[in-house]
Amino acid sequence: MKFLSILLLAMLLTACALAPPGTREGFKAGPGDAAETVPPPPGTSRAVIALLEEARNAIDAGDTVVAETKLERALRIEPRNAVLWHYMARLRLAQDQPRRAAGLAARSNSLAPDNPRLQAINWRLIAEARDRLGDRQGARRAEAEAERLEAGR
Amino acid sequence: MSKRKATRKRKPEVGRKQGKKTARKRAAGPGRRSRRKRRAASGGLGRVRWRTGLIAALVLALAWTAWLDFRIRHEFEGKRWALPATVYARPLELYEGLVLSPDQFREELERLDYRLDRSLAEPGTFRRARGHFLLHKRAFRFADGASPARKLEVGFRHGRITALRDPDSGKAIDLIRLEPARIGGIYPAHREDRILIRLEQAPPELREGIIAVEDRRFREHHGINPRAIARALWANLRAGATVQGGSTITQQLVKNFFLSNRRSLWRKANEAVMAILLELHYDKDAILEAYLNEIYLGQDGDRAIHGFGLASRFYFDREVERLTLPQIATLIALVRGPSWYDPRRHPDRLLERRNLVLRIMAEQGVIDAARAREAARTGLGIRLGRLAGSRWPAFVDLVHRQLQRDYRREDLTSEGLRIFTSFDPLVQSRAERALKRRIRELDKARGLDGKLQGAVVVTDTRTGEVLAVVGDREPRYPGFNRALDAVRPIGSLIKPAVYLTALRQPERYTLSTAIDDGPIRIQGPNGTIWSPKNYDGRSHGTVPLFAALIHSYNQATVRLGMALGFEAIADTLARLGATREVPAYPSMLLGAVGFTPFEMAGMYQTLASGGFRTPLRAIREVTTAEGQPLGRYPLDVEQTLEPAPVAALVSALREVTRSGTARSLQTRLPDGLDVAGKTGTTDDLRDSWFAGFSGDRLAVVWLGRDDNRTIRLSGSRGALVVWGDILASIPTTGLLPPASDDVEYHWIDADTGLLSEAGCPGAVELAYVRGTAPSERAPCAGGGKVEEGGGPFNWLRRLFR
Repeated sequence: MKFLSILLLAMLLTACALAPPGTREGFKAGPGDAAETVPPPPGTSRAVIALLEEARNAIDAGDTVVAETKLERALRIEPRNAVLWHYMARLRLAQDQPRRAAGLAARSNSLAPDNPRLQAINWRLIAEARDRLGDRQGARRAEAEAERLEAGR
Repeated sequence: MSKRKATRKRKPEVGRKQGKKTARKRAAGPGRRSRRKRRAASGGLGRVRWRTGLIAALVLALAWTAWLDFRIRHEFEGKRWALPATVYARPLELYEGLVLSPDQFREELERLDYRLDRSLAEPGTFRRARGHFLLHKRAFRFADGASPARKLEVGFRHGRITALRDPDSGKAIDLIRLEPARIGGIYPAHREDRILIRLEQAPPELREGIIAVEDRRFREHHGINPRAIARALWANLRAGATVQGGSTITQQLVKNFFLSNRRSLWRKANEAVMAILLELHYDKDAILEAYLNEIYLGQDGDRAIHGFGLASRFYFDREVERLTLPQIATLIALVRGPSWYDPRRHPDRLLERRNLVLRIMAEQGVIDAARAREAARTGLGIRLGRLAGSRWPAFVDLVHRQLQRDYRREDLTSEGLRIFTSFDPLVQSRAERALKRRIRELDKARGLDGKLQGAVVVTDTRTGEVLAVVGDREPRYPGFNRALDAVRPIGSLIKPAVYLTALRQPERYTLSTAIDDGPIRIQGPNGTIWSPKNYDGRSHGTVPLFAALIHSYNQATVRLGMALGFEAIADTLARLGATREVPAYPSMLLGAVGFTPFEMAGMYQTLASGGFRTPLRAIREVTTAEGQPLGRYPLDVEQTLEPAPVAALVSALREVTRSGTARSLQTRLPDGLDVAGKTGTTDDLRDSWFAGFSGDRLAVVWLGRDDNRTIRLSGSRGALVVWGDILASIPTTGLLPPASDDVEYHWIDADTGLLSEAGCPGAVELAYVRGTAPSERAPCAGGGKVEEGGGPFNWLRRLFR
């Protein structure tokens, strides 16, 4: 039993060590960001991946202003990459700027008509943002939209 | 240099001012006391009189010294802290896939004063081989981190960067930024003619060269160099005239503070005392920095050229960091006598002295002898540049206005802030070229006597960043900034707002809805009749909604607008981002309302981004002189309009440029570059507008006269031509249809608004809110046969419904 748990732990650690660097699996806007992560889409350029890596390092160092600058640079390179707009929205929410976060998440959705999963995550983010703005009804509508998308309509 | 952090607005800045006041009090105190003592001494006993006299003299000397101390510190502090904010262009980000031609890349390098050097020994050099560039980029501190100097290789193919790597290791580089061009500074009103530099900005050859030539023992002495003075005295005595100076750098600085040409011994003594005092208060670097900024280096008319920052702009048209060795030696040579060695009048004298400076620099070990010899073989290479202000006054003006909302003027002009902007030099140069050239042509063709003016604003449609601003037909002229300040009637540029208001009610209106373009009479409240006419003077009967927009029919637009109501249109305008109140009278429907070109760019930006309003911004980040981030101007988007109606409108605006009033663009733009836009013309042809966008660039062009008289140019004859030149000459991608579930695209018959097919004559591709497209077919597409739910003439009946 003991042996088994040690083996399990070792396997887990190996899996962690082998996992690609954080940005490839997604983007967390900070310790308080509990939302599901979204990986950058397959076509994302090396330049943008590099910037996302730097943005993540900045967030780990607690410097969201630098992270913001990095994300904006990434957006200038790939302005039609819906996932980048989504990251930006997350960062805004983590910075407690819900109005901006909602705008950016909506922009992300407008660029991802064929990605219901990303859309659902964005709608959840919009719901959270509206909630923080005191718009309970709007938040519920956004939740419903997210659920509709998750259910495959 | 200043270690104080720049303060944001509201934070009172008490420290320095109080400091100054107490300094003044301290200085004034002993002065008064000494006068009293002097009076007391004169009434004393004879025997002690000489002693009292001595004391009095001492006190007097002390007081005088204190006064000198106050003056020199006051002077020094006042100049030292005034470091203007520096405004930077966007840095060019290099990465594989970037749309950029080798020539455009070379242009960027030239703007940054890179020079050809096969060895790439120093930062700021490059060489070009077939299809690729090798360069040694300079170091630069950005808001989000430092970028060190390094070598890189850039390869191009088909107008894109296809390779980016380290030439030594061959390793690919994902992304790298070139340093941004400096596009201007924000100066206090009374000191606009300075370009202040920090000591670190000065090339080492300049710093050390000055010391080698002017004051070898600068690092050791305490303000004066007695040996040098003695040597100079001896030389002057022997010659019977002043042939040599013994002034240290510190003394020269003091002399420059209190410019006066009297060569009296008293003044010399005062200068020496002040030099010693300066050295007591400040370290050598601070003194050298002040010297570099203060020293007199020439004359431009009635304007004195002070400091190496301004001198390098004046004589070589470049930044001090980018001076070459011979240029540095030339400026050092000028220190000794700017008018005696004036390069415009006495180039031979100057060349001779420059070569002497090079020899001294080599002797003193500042440079090696080989470099000195090589430099001495070059000509002077004087290239007189512009002095005051920016080469891009209209853009810097915009930056300044956006900054003034958030920063105190004193901080902008004195704290050495670094302002990073979205300014794109390439786009700006193309916009300037197009406007200048076309205005010259059109002005001549219409006999406007040089009175035709114009303005351009170019933005990035995805981020709302301002890339270029031109505010005058002479873009360098820092006068009236028409792009920001010319409030002019917008004419038909307002029509998209009217039609969008209709399309926002998809149950009532689609692009195919039939509307009446018959003559219209509207009675005003005071009984007057307003009866607008179409531009071609004809009525076109019943037309599909989109046709009225793309041909800019006035009668149909007014009728549609009256049916929609002013309130609904005002709401659309506000959602587009209009910041001005729009009057609620009928002529508003034809654009009898004033906006600036910049405001129009903001409104069309919302259309270009599919209904997301993005406030236009020119500034990205602001940092302190040391690189600490102070503030960001973040990307901000808000969805103010539903994407589907906007997509429908944009599809019609695209048709404007294909078969509507702007169809001449088809011959002006590269094949396949899809754009959307709208022409605008006002009464009696006073204003000529064009606003439009591609997939990533938006531009608004206005032409008109400042005195508001006719220019005899419609939107399509004037502004459109400039717009076409700009879009054809900048890297840009075509319009992309928004990928939205709520939109469907159809080929539509242009005459009837019915369904058609690609390839049918007169078929145009338009967007409809899902489920609202017409179901009847035009004859070419199988119409005229029985359709479900309608007979052959159903579409005709529908028109007259």
